[in-house]
Formats: sequence, C-alpha cells, structure tokens
Amino acid sequence: MTRTQALRSSEDRLHQAQGAPSLLRVENLSVRFDGSPDDVNVVDHVSFSVEKGKTLCIVGESGCGKSVTALALMGLLPTPPARIVAGRALFAGQDLLALPERQRADMRGNQTAMIFQEPMTSLNPVFTVGDQITEGILRHRAISKAAATERALEMLRRVRIPAPEKRMRAYPHELSGGMRQRVMIAMALANEPQLLIADEPTTALDVTIQAQIIALIRQLQAESGMAMILITHDLGVVAEVADEVVVMYAGRVVERGAVDDIFADPQHPYTIGLMGSVPSLGRRQGALTTIPGTVPPAELMPRGCRFSPRCPFADQRCVSDPPPLVEIAPAHDARCWYAPLELHREVLR
Amino acid sequence: MTTPARDIILESTGLVKHFGGRGLLSSPTVVRAVDGVSLAVERGETFAIVGESGCGKSTLGRLLLRLIEPTAGDVRYEGRSIIGLAPDEMRKLRREMQIIFQDPYASLNPRMNVRDIVGEPIWLHGLARGRDKQERVADLLRTVGLIPSHGDRYPHEFSGGQRQRIGIARALAGEPKLIIGDEPVSALDVSIQAQIINLLEDLKDRFGLTLVIIAHDLAVIRHMSDRVAVMYLGEIVELSDTNALFDDPLHPYTRALLTAIPVPNPTDRQPKPLLQGDVPSPAAPPSGCRFHTRCPHAQALCREAHPELEVASEGRQVACHFWREIRNAGAGALTAPVPSPALTQRLALYRTWRERQDSTGTPTA
Repeated sequence: MTRTQALRSSEDRLHQAQGAPSLLRVENLSVRFDGSPDDVNVVDHVSFSVEKGKTLCIVGESGCGKSVTALALMGLLPTPPARIVAGRALFAGQDLLALPERQRADMRGNQTAMIFQEPMTSLNPVFTVGDQITEGILRHRAISKAAATERALEMLRRVRIPAPEKRMRAYPHELSGGMRQRVMIAMALANEPQLLIADEPTTALDVTIQAQIIALIRQLQAESGMAMILITHDLGVVAEVADEVVVMYAGRVVERGAVDDIFADPQHPYTIGLMGSVPSLGRRQGALTTIPGTVPPAELMPRGCRFSPRCPFADQRCVSDPPPLVEIAPAHDARCWYAPLELHREVLR
Repeated sequence: MTTPARDIILESTGLVKHFGGRGLLSSPTVVRAVDGVSLAVERGETFAIVGESGCGKSTLGRLLLRLIEPTAGDVRYEGRSIIGLAPDEMRKLRREMQIIFQDPYASLNPRMNVRDIVGEPIWLHGLARGRDKQERVADLLRTVGLIPSHGDRYPHEFSGGQRQRIGIARALAGEPKLIIGDEPVSALDVSIQAQIINLLEDLKDRFGLTLVIIAHDLAVIRHMSDRVAVMYLGEIVELSDTNALFDDPLHPYTRALLTAIPVPNPTDRQPKPLLQGDVPSPAAPPSGCRFHTRCPHAQALCREAHPELEVASEGRQVACHFWREIRNAGAGALTAPVPSPALTQRLALYRTWRERQDSTGTPTA
C-alpha cells in the first residue's frame, strides 16, 4: 500500500459510519490565536470521534492544545484572542461549532458538560454547594425548586459525599479538594449529559484521592452510558480509563488508536519518548530517557513536523515537510515519515 | 557482625512544629504539622520524604534547614546542633545546605536578571568577585544546561523547566554539600521532569552531593532515592530502603499509597481496594494511631494506643501495632508493568539516536 492510499484509508475510516455510530465526531478542528503567525494554529486539523459509553483520552503536555480543543467543543473559547478557523464537531447530527450561542448555552450543562482541574476556580465561593447544583438543574429543566433540590441531594449521594444533607448547605471553601471535585462531578452529571469532558480532573489531587475520583467517574459512566473525553498528561490515568487515545503535540494529533495499541505498539517518536520519560514503578534501570528541549513558541514553529526540533530521528525532510496522519496498523494512526521506526532507522553502534 | 559506622550528614531528633495556639491574635487551634520526627540522612545518599498534602513533609524540609524554628527537638548537621546557632554562624552554614522549591517562578526575584540571581550567593558568601564571579556564573549556567547568554534575561522569559534549572544553578552557587528539593519536579511536564531528574542525579554524582527529596510522586521517588520516609499527619509511619519499601511495604498507609498509583498498563485494570475518606485535619489528629480512621485493618488497640516507630528489620522502621499480621496476610507490593516487546525495541532505538543527538550538540534547554 502506498503512503497516499494509506492516508486516504485513514481519512475514510473517520468518515465511514461504523458499527457503533459516533456520538461526537470532530473533523479538522483548527483554532488560532490572534497575533500568532498565519500558518501556526494552536489546534491544527484535529480529528477524532467518541462513541456512546466510551472514553477517549487526549494526552499531551502543556501547550499541546488539549485544553483549547475541549474549550472549543464546549463553546467556551475566549474569542478574541482564540478563533476557530476550520472544522466541524458533529454531535448527534448537529455541528456544534455552527450553532448560535443561545443553543450552545442550552446544551452546556445539559447534553454536554465539563469538569476542570481546579474545582475551586469553577465553584462560586459565595453560594452554597446545594444552590449551585440546583441552579444548573433549574436552568435546563422545567421542574419545581423543591424537586431540583431533591435531585441535587440525590446527585451528592451518587458521588458518595458523606452527610449529603449537611453538605448541601456548605460553601466550597468548607470542603476538601477531593470533595470539591465530587461536587463538580455531581453538578456536571445532574442533567445526565451524553458527553462529559473532563480536563485534568485529578491532577490537583493527592494520589489516594485521585484513585477514588477515577473509580467514581468510571462507575458513574458505566451506570449512565455517557461518553467521556478525558484530558490528561498522566499516562497512568490514560491506561486506567481510556478506550481510545489521541496523543497531541504542539496542536496536532501525532498518534491515535485503541489504548492497548498505544501502550503496546507506540509509533510516534514523541509517544515513545514520553513513555521513556516516565519513571518506572519497578526497580531502577539507569537514567531516564529524555526528550530534549521544549515546545517551540509559535513564531519558531517549524513548517514540517512540529516535533522535529526535539526528535532524535528527524532529518531535513521532517523539518520542511509536514507528515500526514497515516494508518500504520488497523485503527492505529501516526503522524511520522519514519513510522514504524525499525523499518527506517537502525540501531546505532 | 559489625556494620560500618554510618556517616550521618543531617539528623533530626524528636522534631516538632506546631503552628498557632499562642499569642493574642493567633487562632486557638494548634496545627501539629510535624510531631516528633527523628531521622538520619547519610552522606551521599538520596533520601526521600513522601506523603500527601498536609502530612507535614514541606514543614519538615524547612525545619531540617532551620528556615523555620522548631517547637521542640533538635537538628544536627555534621554532628553539630544548628538550632542554637547564632544568625551569622547559621548564615555561613547555609552555603552548605541549600533548597530548591516546587515553583521556581515564585522563588526567583522577577526584578533580577539571571546573572544576578545566580551570582548573589557567590557574592554573599564572598566566594568570588568581578570577573571571577562572572566566570563562575557562566560555568553554573552551563552546568545546569543553560547557556551563559541567558544571564542577561529575566525569570519571566524562561519556561518552567528552564526556571527550575536557574533555581538549581542558584542552589549550586554556594558549593553546597546538601540540597533539599521540595517537590522539585512536580510542577513540570513529564518530558521536562525527566530532564530535571537526570540533571539532579548528574549533579549529585559530579559534586558528591547529598539529596533530600520531598515529593508525592512515588514513581519519581522510586527512581531517585536510596531510602524513603513515609509521612502521615506529621509523623513518620515507615522508613526503609527504597526497594524494600516498594517490594514489601509494611505500613497499611504505604500499601494504600502504592495501590492508588495509576499503573501505565491498560491490560491490567483490576478494581483496587481503595482508601476511603480524606486525610483528617492536622489540627485535630485522631487518637491512638493517626491512620486508624482510614485503615482497613484498624482494631480497638489502634484507636487507643499510639504506635511507636519500631525496628522491623535491619534498616527498616514501621509504626503500626499489627504490621506483622498484615504482612502475613499478603499482597500489597506493586507490580510494575513490563514494557511490550515493540516498546522495548523502539525505546532502545530511541536511546541510541538520542545519544547521537546529544553528541552532535543539540541544546538541551
């Protein structure tokens, strides 16, 4: 199969209606910040899809565009400076990006919901937890205040907050970090969204609390059948919750596939370098593998592969020609001229 | 059997730090941040202090350098108590004992350029002047993977990883023997974190440093440290050689911490026994064993009697009434995932090309 054919098949696969129809299909999403060079999008032709009941993890480091992608999908991008310059996001047949703001607001917190890394900044400090959950329910449902309060209480029980009646009257500062994140989850799920976007939901939490929250999210997802996009930098979290994985670097998808394939058969040099950078939980095996340097600023972004300035395998072609996202194995795509690496690069010395 | 005498560089005995409770305006509640910590750090080792938010690990780090005064207890550096030292003697000693912080941005003066930030300790301790000083600053910047021309810039012009490199250069400027790192890599991206971990290890070897690493990331600790102290609510609950701790954790809290780590292996998703609830407030620690409110093995004795840190085997200490019984009940160790053949092969390939990349002079910062 030639590379062009492979490329086409990868694109086709995305457009084909498969066994389970996608709940959300993002196609060529591109976002640019005002003031950055014309051809440097902070999110550049990002495509992926999420099925009902499944979890897609977007993994990458600071500046890879993972949070901007999420905000664009939720209609929460600060415009200006951010502008969606291309792409579609089909959610249950509608293009989210083309909807008027009023309809988006009706969807937010209803069919789609989002939770953030730092719950304290998303909770209003002057209202009680109960008021804030109730407000979200009343915004989207034609029910009485009493019924909404009852629903809020039920949500606090579902996220396993001890003494929920008492917590309804608590202010955010009276809760621990883990409890605040539970409140955020209760609020996000109160209207039974079909899609939950969680942006680093456990990053600010201690490890024992993180484990509780991950277990809770998984259980609630199994109960409700909602789809989830989980954004994280932590490969451990990815391995625990993902069905599908999208690896992003400097605004582009560099690798995409089923979670088992990404971990067992990583193809892109960035994915491989990232896995080598994480200290093992086993006995020490010498120094860590590293990715040199840092993500280049927009004005220094190379025309070709955006990872090329840091990539050990890069040559002139990588610097000048952007590689396409190519299907390397069934349902497993990588954006590298030289994947699989062992076919193109020999072990040195 | 005689063990060679241990060469202890830093030692604390019965170290206590309580906040609040005294004075007209302070709150009447006493926060027992550090409550009776005794430990001894050997010269040349990497000693880790691990625990969750509020366990007192950062307070302990500051006490060990006497950046804050203890409520009770003693700290000895190279055999000499530093608690009673006069301010100018303490200042001289600070040259040898340095600290790196989690958020390098907050610890670098935004109005000083990098040359002045790194040069300040050299000037302060009278180590060099004028041209010599500038030479030293340039050397230090190169040592931490920056370039001397970075000296003209200000902290805001750098990325997080580069700022941490500046913080490390400043710590090295006084030619220290001991560096305490308070979460030195936890604010950094994974790829940058790996660079800084490797840098700290290189510097440790190169300058014969002793490192005390305060962290919450157990994978980082396993990778870097020789010995580990696990803290919970102001106390050490387990102290052990690193491999022994991960292979055979004794304290139920240590086991819970290890179980909670998300393991990067998608084929191994078993439901885990999870610790319930939050860490209690250090202002009102539970009676008896402070962990009993969350411990799956707690019994009546745990609520009543405070377990002392006892020697479990050579070099291992644990503070639990029932560690023997729990250990015999099995399971608690961590099974690290084995990388797949494809990942192993490509990582090996990556490493050889990475070495070539370094030798052909790609800047690392």
